[in-house]
Amino acid sequence: MLDLALTQSQEMLRAAAREMVEREYSKEVLLQLESDDGELERSLWDKTASAGWPGILIPAKYGGEGGSLTDAAVILEELGRGPAPGIFFSTAVLGVLSLLEASSEEQQASILPRIATGEAGIALAATEARYVWKEELTRTKAVRRGDGFALNGVKLFVQDAGNANILICTATLEGGEAGLFLVDVPLSGVSIRPLPGFLSDSFEVRLDGVEVPESALMPGGWDALDSAVLKALPVLSAYQVGACERVFEMTLEYANSRIQFGLPIGRFQRVQDHVIQIVNLKDAARWTTYEALWKLDENKPDAAAAVHVCAAVAREAYYQACNAAHEVHAGLGIMREYGLTLHTRMSRTLYHYLGDPAHHKARLAAELGL
Amino acid sequence: MNFELTFTTEQEAFRVEVRSWLDENAPKEMEHPADPGQLSAEGYRKQRQLGRDLGEKGWLYPTYPSEYGGGGLSAEEALIIEQELDRHGFTLPPYYDSGGKLGAASIMVWGTEEQKRHFLPSIFRGEVRTWQLLTEPEAGSDLANVQTTARRDGDEYVINGQKIYVGSTHGAEMSWILVNTDPGGARHQNLSWFMVPMDLPGVSWAPMDLLFAGNERGAASGHKQTVYFENVRLPAFNLIGGENNGWRVAGTHLELEHGLMQTSLRGDSLWERVVRLYTEAQERCEPIMDCPDASTLLADMYIDSQIGRLLHMRNYWLQRTGRPVTYHGPQAYLHVKRSALRTAKALHKLFGPYALTTDADVGLEDGHVEVQQRGSIVAQHPGGTVEIQKVIMARRLGIGRAEPQKSGRLK
Repeated sequence: MLDLALTQSQEMLRAAAREMVEREYSKEVLLQLESDDGELERSLWDKTASAGWPGILIPAKYGGEGGSLTDAAVILEELGRGPAPGIFFSTAVLGVLSLLEASSEEQQASILPRIATGEAGIALAATEARYVWKEELTRTKAVRRGDGFALNGVKLFVQDAGNANILICTATLEGGEAGLFLVDVPLSGVSIRPLPGFLSDSFEVRLDGVEVPESALMPGGWDALDSAVLKALPVLSAYQVGACERVFEMTLEYANSRIQFGLPIGRFQRVQDHVIQIVNLKDAARWTTYEALWKLDENKPDAAAAVHVCAAVAREAYYQACNAAHEVHAGLGIMREYGLTLHTRMSRTLYHYLGDPAHHKARLAAELGL
Repeated sequence: MNFELTFTTEQEAFRVEVRSWLDENAPKEMEHPADPGQLSAEGYRKQRQLGRDLGEKGWLYPTYPSEYGGGGLSAEEALIIEQELDRHGFTLPPYYDSGGKLGAASIMVWGTEEQKRHFLPSIFRGEVRTWQLLTEPEAGSDLANVQTTARRDGDEYVINGQKIYVGSTHGAEMSWILVNTDPGGARHQNLSWFMVPMDLPGVSWAPMDLLFAGNERGAASGHKQTVYFENVRLPAFNLIGGENNGWRVAGTHLELEHGLMQTSLRGDSLWERVVRLYTEAQERCEPIMDCPDASTLLADMYIDSQIGRLLHMRNYWLQRTGRPVTYHGPQAYLHVKRSALRTAKALHKLFGPYALTTDADVGLEDGHVEVQQRGSIVAQHPGGTVEIQKVIMARRLGIGRAEPQKSGRLK
């Protein structure tokens, strides 16, 4: 039976997540986070963890909730309204899914319980200078040394590396294929540098002769990582959906309260066009995203196409919604203290993260056999 | 959540019944018309017969109460009938019948019991086909600016004026019409809504020469007309919803027309045709056109069709579950209109001049691609232009207003 509503327990989760985001991630706190050295974010993460949400996708035997991707998306949609920083996604979604897809029982048993309690934060260090999502472009090398490996290379645009204590690093093994390594940080030879400017929580990670034990290598390779990313993508899209909802609310409120020429500016059809554009973008993103989540949760054979559709749509939606919101807000929109720029900045950062719309359209075309 | 339209065992058994009946009775030579505007008298006769046959079974207007001649069936059963007709390239009804699709909804809401019993059964059984007469030379986007008048004279009204961009080639038995009954009255409070038998003295029509006449995925039955009313005397009984209440009566069917009736929960046959054309050309290593961004164009086209499908699915679900439906109809309609032009551009880029010809040797897919090139332009304005859809959305969202505008009455 067609049913596009969330379940009752998902609605409760949503209400609790909204309450938490409004309480903990106020505009003032988020503005502070933009220049934070990590301590504030860490304390916020602890509060999120105490609600049990980092374990949302972790199986019960490892102390998690064993929830569905849609459950995780409900939380992410609310975080997107902040926009709360990405360590939750990097750890509880992308990190957990990567571990579930690619790591061994022992690795899972050692790390997943620590994620569930909020002790461990994960960042995926896969991309490099040639910023393309392709195994063969991995230049970081892993060479055998003693009982383990030595890692050398530079990972670029690594989201949330500054707040992680475990990195999942891709590095080319001697056979030429990419291996996935668990790297505890801080560690000798690992240097992590935030990238300044119009990016949120993006880092360079240098690996200079980093020594890791044999047990750091996950049994799964690039394909396992790719399937983890496929599952994580619509959950990230849900974050963009929630963000678009918030941008819409801000813009509607402003259009109805700002008086120019003696009228609320929302009376002008050119202004209305911008608001309507945001609504159209957010609804397209919402329904493509939730259908993809449902297809993944239900193991539908055509889920991958739906994922690439929502990934292309939601990235573009958040980016363009922010542009339209700036048109309506004009000067006020660019005042940092107003808060719209928090979204604008995040919309730019997430536009290319885990593949930009062009990448997802190419993947979609491949899925459709074109 | 569940994004699947699932059906019960009983409903699936009903599908089998519908399918085998259609396999037996649907006129084969009428299936999947490229340009439904090009409809011969013989073809029209067959469509009408199919309509009467469906009507007799209660499958023509399946969800309306059987006491008025409808099928008394569930929304799911109606969807099954639509899906099965879609396999043959027919819509429900299998011909243009705005009277049934839109007018009947207004009669159900605003008509008296006597009027429902008088007007609805013949429509629902397919015996009567009905045109909608709204647009006038001076009432396009400003639809309330109606100049056609109806003057009360005893037990009758006398109608004078004209309607344009309406109807189809082969006539109709009935129409419904929005007219001005109080030329000095306040805007929106000066209109009335009537059912008009088309054989009354003084009613005449003349065909219009338009770029394309097909609409609503094959529902057209030929060309659009200009309809003239010259001292047409109409019984007062045919006034629905009371004098000067016509704008509210129209609010019911306009609500439906603005994106709530094109459920579009069926397959996308144009997409399948285009993919076939493209992949066949690829396999022959002979791209029809040297189009470097072909796969992106096709991906964009696919994404557009998925968004359209999902917006209509959402609207269907909102209606089915009694949730508020406000800006959602015009939003879906806007998407359909806008994406049609994007698709036309993509097909033009993919296939170049091949997309523009109906020639039997070099044209594509028996003219289906060429029809889309013309039809996408014509699709921009029926049921309100793109800009009008945005106006309605803005009102329903409450942009620049103290209170969002209420939707038209559907019950």
